[in-house]
Amino acid sequence: MDIARGLVAIGAGIAVLTGTMTGIGQGYAAGKAVEAVGRNPEAESKIRSMLILGAAIAETAAIYGLLISFLLLFVFQ
Amino acid sequence: MNQILEWLFATPLQVEIISIWIVTGLIIGLVFMVHRAVKNADVMAKPTGLVLIGVLIVQTFSNITKDNMGANHYKNYAPYVGALALYLFISNISGLFGLAQPTANYSVTLTLALITFFLIQRAVYRTNGFVKFFTRFFDPHPAFFVMNFFGTIAPLVSMSLRLFGNITGGTIIMMLFYSFSGYIASFVPVIGQFDFIGPLIAPFLHAYFDLFVGFIQMFVFISLTTVFVGNELPSEPETN
Repeated sequence: MDIARGLVAIGAGIAVLTGTMTGIGQGYAAGKAVEAVGRNPEAESKIRSMLILGAAIAETAAIYGLLISFLLLFVFQ
Repeated sequence: MNQILEWLFATPLQVEIISIWIVTGLIIGLVFMVHRAVKNADVMAKPTGLVLIGVLIVQTFSNITKDNMGANHYKNYAPYVGALALYLFISNISGLFGLAQPTANYSVTLTLALITFFLIQRAVYRTNGFVKFFTRFFDPHPAFFVMNFFGTIAPLVSMSLRLFGNITGGTIIMMLFYSFSGYIASFVPVIGQFDFIGPLIAPFLHAYFDLFVGFIQMFVFISLTTVFVGNELPSEPETN
């Protein structure tokens, strides 16, 4: 039983690792947004809303991982 | 109270139902207040107070809808988008006022995503007609059926799970933080029974997880709704 609990915790940790790739993607998007504002400063508000939208969509994968880890932690106890 | 409610609904009561009622009642009260203020307002005068708030809200959501859907169709969808935005935002920040967020219940987010899903299907049906509505699954080749099918139901799953996951994640992280700060505070001898570390740090976390995430997720949900529905609408002006 103890080993099973530990394995569930390890699984939850692995599931939440999806956040690493999401971090890379969001950082890339933010860098591109900075470039776009530098090239075209008058479009800043539009770029900002697009950046927020894109970052939130990219975050979905990390949220799925987080949900799975929560499910593992709170359902299999 | 709980027994009455459980008898009324013949099901174990989920605590979010009460906060759904509170949020809905709040929005209805707000709408009636703005309605009365607008009725009594002088048309030629500058809008002030509640009238100004109402005008700003309507203008903002009309413009957001217009940007994503085009000038031909936005008037049919702007009221729904505005109501959705109000409901989602008040639901998401209701955790600050001690309510259980309605959007932390998967039934609520799935319902809202289902409405968007049916709006998308309705737009496809009205644009392409009855035959194309079904044959689009086999569009380039019948072998693409599985891909097209999952592409059709993907917005339903992703939109509902995104909202639910963000709000639930914030709630659980706050819960973990409060239990952790209570554990730390319990080492202090005299006042350790009172969790005095939590109230010092929690406001910043609440500002992020409730206000910021709540607003961003509301914005993302209405943006995706308008974009998905707007993509399926015909671009030329409607003839009827």
